[in-house]
Amino acid sequence: MSEWFSVFKRGLSVDNPLTVLMIGLCATLAVSTKFEGAFFMGLAVIFVLTMSAILVSFLRHVVPEKVRIPVFIVIIASFVTIVDLMMKAFLPTVYDFLGVWIPLIVVNCIILGRAEAFSYHKPVKLAIADGLGMGIGFSAVIVVLASIRELLGSGQIVFLGTKIIGFPAWYKGPNIVLLFPGAFIIFGFMVAGAMALNRRMSARQVQTSQRCTIEEGGGS
Amino acid sequence: MDRANATPGQMVLAVVLTCAVAASALSVTYDLTKDRIAEQERAAEVASLGEVLPDASEFVAMEDLLESAQVAAGDSDVGAVYRAEGESGDLMGWGVRIAARGYGGPIRMVVGLDRNGQVTGVSIITNTETPGLGTEVLASDDFMTQFVGWDGLDIDSAAKAYDAVTGASKSSNGVRTGVLASGHVFQEVLSGIREGGAVDE
Repeated sequence: MSEWFSVFKRGLSVDNPLTVLMIGLCATLAVSTKFEGAFFMGLAVIFVLTMSAILVSFLRHVVPEKVRIPVFIVIIASFVTIVDLMMKAFLPTVYDFLGVWIPLIVVNCIILGRAEAFSYHKPVKLAIADGLGMGIGFSAVIVVLASIRELLGSGQIVFLGTKIIGFPAWYKGPNIVLLFPGAFIIFGFMVAGAMALNRRMSARQVQTSQRCTIEEGGGS
Repeated sequence: MDRANATPGQMVLAVVLTCAVAASALSVTYDLTKDRIAEQERAAEVASLGEVLPDASEFVAMEDLLESAQVAAGDSDVGAVYRAEGESGDLMGWGVRIAARGYGGPIRMVVGLDRNGQVTGVSIITNTETPGLGTEVLASDDFMTQFVGWDGLDIDSAAKAYDAVTGASKSSNGVRTGVLASGHVFQEVLSGIREGGAVDE
């Protein structure tokens, strides 16, 4: 179980798809103008990533290497279409906002990349850990980015028609936050923050492991 | 099976089987959601029609008028023409669903006209304008209400006196184009039908 957890944790920290691997940025910058949109985009990616990881890993012994990419694409596209139809049916306002970015999850390199690099080689249990970890890592970053942009840009955060938090009415947000330059600037700070955090965590790990060896050395 | 040295037959089988399973999974999902999706789209449309023609109780899609309406609208794309009816089935006005080019793509809207061709309101269904700039135009009451009262029979002169929003003139012009084209649809197609309405004194 500790191996499962360490795989799961990598997606959130040292292998985070957005702040470390920096893949799937296109959709991230585009949909992170609204908290609500980013939240459901995150859920959609978690679902597609985990389900396709399970299937790819489950089929890894029977899918010939030479046709693996077409098979992966069909699997991923099917799950994306399921999400697309479901969202259109049950969350039409969110679907209007996310628009073309939902079908474009098919070509999001996080999903094909993880299928190719991880799920195709690992047992189902670990593939689930990787899918969930990467998906939650992606969602966490996109939700934080969208919260900052919506709050600073529009002065309030609205979730499914309800105002969650807002600045007083006189606040007039700078438009640049909602446009792409603002997304890049804020995202840059988030990458810097994530790097600092990862560095500190790995430094602490080295320290503890050193202390362990010293203690062990003293004991023997 | 050795996945590195599969025979062509095995490869074909793998891809065909995957596609077959995927297709059946999708057809099940489609069946489960299609009624609900159609219902949502219909509800969204009726809601915007009700917004621009609040007095009407029934909207009937006029499919036989669609083709001539599309010709009259020129570059803008007419999606549907609705006849708005009062409680006794009398003609109250017209709703035109139209898409005109904005800054980031088509702006889909419903333009309401009363039976004399005066614009009663404009309601935006979907748009892909720049968040914070173009979308502010569409959300601004000051901007959207200026179209109310434009005379469909003389829409070209009405459209000359019009205020675009600074910084988002392409989004503003997109809405104006849609209203203008709806006016042309009224001039060339709908105004002729007015006399044929059930109750017209």
